[in-house]
Amino acid sequence: MRQIAIYGKGGIGKSSISSNLSVNLASEGLEVLLVGCDPKSDSTINLFSGKRIDTVLDLYKKGISDPDNMIFKGYNGVNCVEVGGPAAGVGCAGRGILVALKILNKDYYIDKGFDVVIYDVPGDVVCGGFAGPAREGYADEVYIVTSGEYFSVYAANNIVKGLFNINVKLGGIIGNMRGISEEENKIKAYAEEINSQLINVVERNPKIYESEVEGKTVLEKYPNDVLNIKFKEIGEKILSNTKSKIPNPTTDKRIRSILGGMY
Amino acid sequence: MNILTPRPNPIVAALYTLRDLDVDVAILHGPSGCGFRAARLLEEDGMVVVTTSMTEEDLIFGASDKLIEVLHEADELFSPKTIGVVGSCVSMIIGENIKKAIVDSGLNHKAFFVDIHGCMGANTRGVIETLKAAMDFGLIDEMEFKRQEKLLLLATEVESNKGMAKSKYIKPSRGAELKIVADHITNLLKQNKKVAVILNAKKETVYLFADILLAINLASKKLGGSVINVGNLSTEIGLLRIKRYAEDILYNLNSNDVSIDFISGGMDEYPIAGENAIEYLKEKDFDLLVAIGIPQALPRIEKESIAVTNGPREVLPLEEAGYKYVTVEIASHSNVMGTREIVLSELGEAIRISAGIQ
Repeated sequence: MRQIAIYGKGGIGKSSISSNLSVNLASEGLEVLLVGCDPKSDSTINLFSGKRIDTVLDLYKKGISDPDNMIFKGYNGVNCVEVGGPAAGVGCAGRGILVALKILNKDYYIDKGFDVVIYDVPGDVVCGGFAGPAREGYADEVYIVTSGEYFSVYAANNIVKGLFNINVKLGGIIGNMRGISEEENKIKAYAEEINSQLINVVERNPKIYESEVEGKTVLEKYPNDVLNIKFKEIGEKILSNTKSKIPNPTTDKRIRSILGGMY
Repeated sequence: MNILTPRPNPIVAALYTLRDLDVDVAILHGPSGCGFRAARLLEEDGMVVVTTSMTEEDLIFGASDKLIEVLHEADELFSPKTIGVVGSCVSMIIGENIKKAIVDSGLNHKAFFVDIHGCMGANTRGVIETLKAAMDFGLIDEMEFKRQEKLLLLATEVESNKGMAKSKYIKPSRGAELKIVADHITNLLKQNKKVAVILNAKKETVYLFADILLAINLASKKLGGSVINVGNLSTEIGLLRIKRYAEDILYNLNSNDVSIDFISGGMDEYPIAGENAIEYLKEKDFDLLVAIGIPQALPRIEKESIAVTNGPREVLPLEEAGYKYVTVEIASHSNVMGTREIVLSELGEAIRISAGIQ
């Protein structure tokens, strides 16, 4: 079983990558579990035609704690879980993630025979709870999604600092391109700067947006599109990845230099 | 300095201060176990303490609705005139909007919020925050707040410089054997010596500490010698409840034919009253000083001295300060709740036995 966690700046496309990656890995015959860790509970929404599934924490509130009742089959047979959490502005979402992960215990995953578990973790790692999927021995490695934009790479580097501090391996960087010049090279240079690798890049493509508007993944909306091959390639690279290691965060000055073309 | 010894915390200090303010009900917005020992004691002293009993689920989703529910329940059950809502580590860290919950409950005319949690430093911070909230709510005026704030900062300073917060770790001690100390005092009285007693007590602990002053006076009446009595027993300074404590003690002492020679300040002025007391005694002739309550707030003098404290971790600093004997009244808080009369102290009892007083 391979367990990975996807981190990155808020709004950078983690959920798009995670959900498209999940359905394409499932197409390869793998048993996939996608765990959405965002309290907004929208990581798996495109696998259910735009509908939200019951969350672990909502079910827990109702006294349900059997993981069998928390996992829902989404598009293409992908097993989906949403951690859930408090409404915006109240409670503690970070604590929610830790509690939900404990309810969905690791032994259960092994018993169920999942081949791949993907944790889609919200935004920046703002507190200890958000580091839970990486820190508590759930994910074997972390993948960071970033564009070539400064704030996205800056946020990625902040996550790298966290991984360095808590001694967690980084599998690599996944580029989600925004159409700036030399973007792939810049992301690749940043990945190498932090002693990691670029897994692959996803070009800006309106088909992702069009699929999401209908609550679908690209595979469902455009089954024959070449984008699906890209997601399959990302999946294959992750599954065969043997180069995961603790990353070395870099400086703000170096980031600006790389993004400015000095790589 | 990071002090290793667990210390009185600001949440409990806030609860005690609400009691001092004669608030009827305190609602602790936190887990049911938070502050439970203090809560039980305070209930004996007439203030109802209830909790919102926050759970793991509340920690994740927030518990404002629960707080509103508890506010209504407390209002129906106890018909309070005033309610203090006290924060806890849990509710404050998750950013509960307690002020809004109070407004939403419709009880904002009688309930006010004390913005405090356990990680806010010294216990005196809990007192200051409570007084500030009480001032904003209109229970005390700004002058009283400023006066108490100044004293509390001085009290923190006393503990940091001379008390249990002066070292990283202080081993607790029960101090000198009570019989030895009692015999020493009664022997001096038998030799017709003069004993000066400074009662420098903090709030309700006076009901216990005053017993030692009383016992020394009773012993002197029976054995001889003389006693100079100094106490921070002003009936003019502080909150109504605190002034009432002083009135009770003076009445009790008077009933036993004991009078105070010099009032060194109010019951909440223990950080400065000790200095006034020593200043007063400068011109007096005496052979032994017995400093009771918060002896660490007294300047040291070159006289044989005995200190009586209620903190086992205050013993070592007081011994280091040069006190010949230091004794501990271990149950000072639990024994005085709800009382209006002086209660029997351990050293007071030992003095009575040593003097042959029934």
